[in-house]
Amino acid sequence: MILYAALVISVVFASGTFLLLQRDLTRVVVGIILVSNAAVLFIISAGLTRGEPPIYPLPEGGEQGASGIGVSDPLVQAMALTALIIGLCVAALLLAMVYKLYTSHQTIDLEEIADVEMRQAEALERADDPEVEEVPAEGPEEVELREETR
Amino acid sequence: MTASGTSGLLLALPFGIPWVFAAVLALLDGRKRWVGLLAAAGLGAGFLSLVWLTFVVLRDGNVEITEGGWPENVGITLRADALSVAFATICAGVILVSLLFELSLGVRWRTFPALVLLVAAGLTGLFLTGDAFNFYVFFEISMTASFVLVGYREEDYQVRAAFIFAVVNLLGSVVFLIGIAALYSVTGSLDMRVIAERMVSLEPSSVIAIAAVIFAAFFLKLGLFPFHFWLPAVYVGSHAPVAAILSGALANIGAYGLLRFGGGILPRELEFGSAVVMVIGAASIIYGSLQAVSRRDASEVLAYSAIGQAGYIILALGVGGSVGYAAAVLYAVVNSLNKVVLFLAAGLRGPAAGAAFAVGAFSVAGVPPAVGFLGKVAVFKASAAVDTLLASVTLVAIIFVGSALSFLYLFQVYQRRFMAPKQGDPGKTSPAMARFLVVTLAALVLVVGLWPEPLLLLSEAAATALSSGGSS
Repeated sequence: MILYAALVISVVFASGTFLLLQRDLTRVVVGIILVSNAAVLFIISAGLTRGEPPIYPLPEGGEQGASGIGVSDPLVQAMALTALIIGLCVAALLLAMVYKLYTSHQTIDLEEIADVEMRQAEALERADDPEVEEVPAEGPEEVELREETR
Repeated sequence: MTASGTSGLLLALPFGIPWVFAAVLALLDGRKRWVGLLAAAGLGAGFLSLVWLTFVVLRDGNVEITEGGWPENVGITLRADALSVAFATICAGVILVSLLFELSLGVRWRTFPALVLLVAAGLTGLFLTGDAFNFYVFFEISMTASFVLVGYREEDYQVRAAFIFAVVNLLGSVVFLIGIAALYSVTGSLDMRVIAERMVSLEPSSVIAIAAVIFAAFFLKLGLFPFHFWLPAVYVGSHAPVAAILSGALANIGAYGLLRFGGGILPRELEFGSAVVMVIGAASIIYGSLQAVSRRDASEVLAYSAIGQAGYIILALGVGGSVGYAAAVLYAVVNSLNKVVLFLAAGLRGPAAGAAFAVGAFSVAGVPPAVGFLGKVAVFKASAAVDTLLASVTLVAIIFVGSALSFLYLFQVYQRRFMAPKQGDPGKTSPAMARFLVVTLAALVLVVGLWPEPLLLLSEAAATALSSGGSS
């Protein structure tokens, strides 16, 4: 049982990691979803015990239950639920970011986005907008030169 | 332990107030002035309650409560010791100052104040919780809010930075979550103190893999040398107050997590891997400083500087023992102060901001009147306490070289930013409020440097709390 769980988790985690390394941003998001679900599976398998359903008036026979094998661990289920919800919200946020990038760049390929940004930075450099400070367009020598010419 | 009513209130207020305010503010338009002031009031109230909690903790010892009236070890525990209040107070202060700074410049996003409050609530909760899984939940709250904050100002390349930041940090969170599940699996508990107690009876060899997973996750958060690749891209795009929140407050998750999980829960594993931890710290110091010297853009220099500064914290942590832990706590607090002053001052213009930046730069380099001197002395002391002479000498040499380099790169920034007057820039005088804030912070750096007793006391109390395994 534990061996199967370990196998499933490793396959899911590995596929998620593989997708994370792709250039296509939607694949990256799917990769994150897979990786976080691998973590959820891991949580569940951290308390993987067979037993009665852990519903409060415990079954007849006290701690061990009627079947004599006790109740299964309820805490991992609660943790898995919380982790799932966090994963869902984060996936929604990431998809919103990808959509935003798509509307502004018309592409979701990471390298193409980087290319577009390089072109924009160059365009800004040519325009020589004094407001733009984030782009290290000119070295200090150039600044000094220009001041001398003034 | 104090009466459960007051202590519960005392523990719930610091993150409860920002939380409620965040929920309300999310519905309002944050660009309006009164909404921003409301956010600042909420954050200020949270900060004040934290200061109160700090006094109570230092006077009476740990404050602790199990939520929801459950018996201990069943319900979620909130626990404040000196370590958690030290981190919580400095982070809340950093976030409050950054929010005020942004208010004085004018907020441009309707959700900005709510997001900042969510970061504050998540961070404070994370520091005050005594439950490993609850730690993860609070951690995700503050991280998710910060994913959005990184994209503040909505320039396209900042959305890309936010995406990279989110993906890398999510991977770190998942790795950390797996570590927590593994801890639960071997100890059968989520309460940090119970985990620490049961860890003692386990074979170190079976726990070392878990420790490695958890440490790797926090190294990633802190942006240490082999895990740093995401950090510059994020800082370069972001706006001064956001960068200050990221570097002064959120990066402390890594430092706190390493102290809490490394020093508190897995001390033997930390000791076992101390050589690795020290090498990572030393490599970060050298790499961050050298990269920072070679950069031109102010925010890029500060981003690489953040890698180097985190290295000092890890170096002290690797040394371990109460000297090392005290140095790590002290350096983390000092580093937060420095980073806020530097990032905020670099976003401004004029002689006042220049002076504040210079104070911050002196502090990072460890020049005496500033508070950075204390941090450097503590780390020096910790590395002198290493047993092997060779290791000790090497560490001291690395710290010295790192400080000299940080002096160099920060004054390069100073020169470019404040000494060379830019032409055609008359409309950009910074608002008086922002300048006032930055100068006050710089003054605080000097005052704490001149009167260090409270800070030293706090860091030593934190180290003692860690060594005693969280029980008082």
